[in-house]
Amino acid sequence: MNKYTFHVSGTHCASCKILIEDILKEQDFVKNAQVDLKRETVKIETDTDINPEELAQLLTNKVKSNGYTLSVNKSVVRQDLTTAQNGVIWQALPIGLLFLALFFILQKSGILNIGIGGQITPIASFFIGLIASVSTCLAIVGGLVLSLSAKISQDNISDTKTFILFHAGRLVSFALLGGLLGALGGAIGINFTLTAILGLIASLVMLLLGLNLIGVFAKSKITLHPGIFNFFRKIEHKTLTPLIVGFGTFFLPCGFTQSMQVAALSSGSFFSGLLIMVAFALGTLPMLALLSFGSASFAHGRHASLFFKSAGVVVLGLGIFAFLAGLAGLRIINPLFSI
Amino acid sequence: MNKTALIIITLGLAFALGFIFLGGSDTQSSVQNVEIKNGVQYVTIDAKGGYSPRKTTAKAGVPTKLIVNTKDTYDCSAALVIKSLNYQKILPQNGETEIDLGVKKAGETLQGLCSMGMYNFKIKFE
Repeated sequence: MNKYTFHVSGTHCASCKILIEDILKEQDFVKNAQVDLKRETVKIETDTDINPEELAQLLTNKVKSNGYTLSVNKSVVRQDLTTAQNGVIWQALPIGLLFLALFFILQKSGILNIGIGGQITPIASFFIGLIASVSTCLAIVGGLVLSLSAKISQDNISDTKTFILFHAGRLVSFALLGGLLGALGGAIGINFTLTAILGLIASLVMLLLGLNLIGVFAKSKITLHPGIFNFFRKIEHKTLTPLIVGFGTFFLPCGFTQSMQVAALSSGSFFSGLLIMVAFALGTLPMLALLSFGSASFAHGRHASLFFKSAGVVVLGLGIFAFLAGLAGLRIINPLFSI
Repeated sequence: MNKTALIIITLGLAFALGFIFLGGSDTQSSVQNVEIKNGVQYVTIDAKGGYSPRKTTAKAGVPTKLIVNTKDTYDCSAALVIKSLNYQKILPQNGETEIDLGVKKAGETLQGLCSMGMYNFKIKFE
């Protein structure tokens, strides 16, 4: 039995520890692997006799697709990267704040308060969806989509598949639940307190992911309980998760969604309820798809680090907004603002 | 761009955001939205992209009804919550909704919110 310690680079998140350990342990000649995030090292116990350089190369090949490198000597490139990262945050902050300012100015301007007039047809609900996707609903649904997408792209999980599943899950569940609302004519879900609590949970996820994207966690290497990350990593990889998150967006607090739910409810039949909700979800699709697939393309581009940090600033801002509004909605605090 | 310039831009944007949130119209409305008819006080509030007027002063000790007007209201302001009355309802997209407030004592304030919490209005009884 031989023991080696290698330097590992590319560990930007606490969940990387689990990922690297899992992949390394899958190799039959590796008996044990332990990553130390603080020191950026990995300890390997193995029963092969090959020399450390070759072993490092062999193991790097296994984890390279996930963005990690193992080496015998601490790589110097990594050091330069961290100093560059420090400058990036000062570019990311104004970019993020600019987006936030533009977004809230748009809300205040009243441009979005256009009238559709009369009865809600599927075509009308499609347009309402278009408006909703750039309204304050974007603070919750869009913020959540942006933070999850950026995080997923950052973690190098097969993002396109995950996003397609999320959007498909959203469309299908809007269709089914809309149909159910129409058929039953009442009584599923639309409980204000429940949606407000879901909104709070969503905003907490956004705050956490926002900080994570900016790199606050990475810098100080605050390791949350490994079990939590293990749990997150497991659910990140499940096919079902994006479907369920898509389903969950039906219940997130958004005035437009709730209006459409009532419209579906009073539409009187399964089919018309389905049409209204599907049209609405389709209306919100372009903006949400732009957010998720946009982050994927940025994440693999040259300005990835700037993008992640800017997205982090935006998500953090929206998260704070949604969190304070959510608390006010539950009457836990007095409303601090009115947009 | 150098770092100092970026920091200055950041601060400027932070102030702009602060102004968007905290500044703006919090003044009493000039529109007369309180009316007493046959001994009943009616307070009218428009709900569309927020509530208007945001602040209303009404008479205490009079049976009061709140009328919420909606006109093509699809946004959050249609999802009205008045916690002190345990009132939660998604208002019709177009129409008038009458809510009985009962008789309020002087000094009481009634607050309405939309379900997401970013729009609100207050009625003060004097």
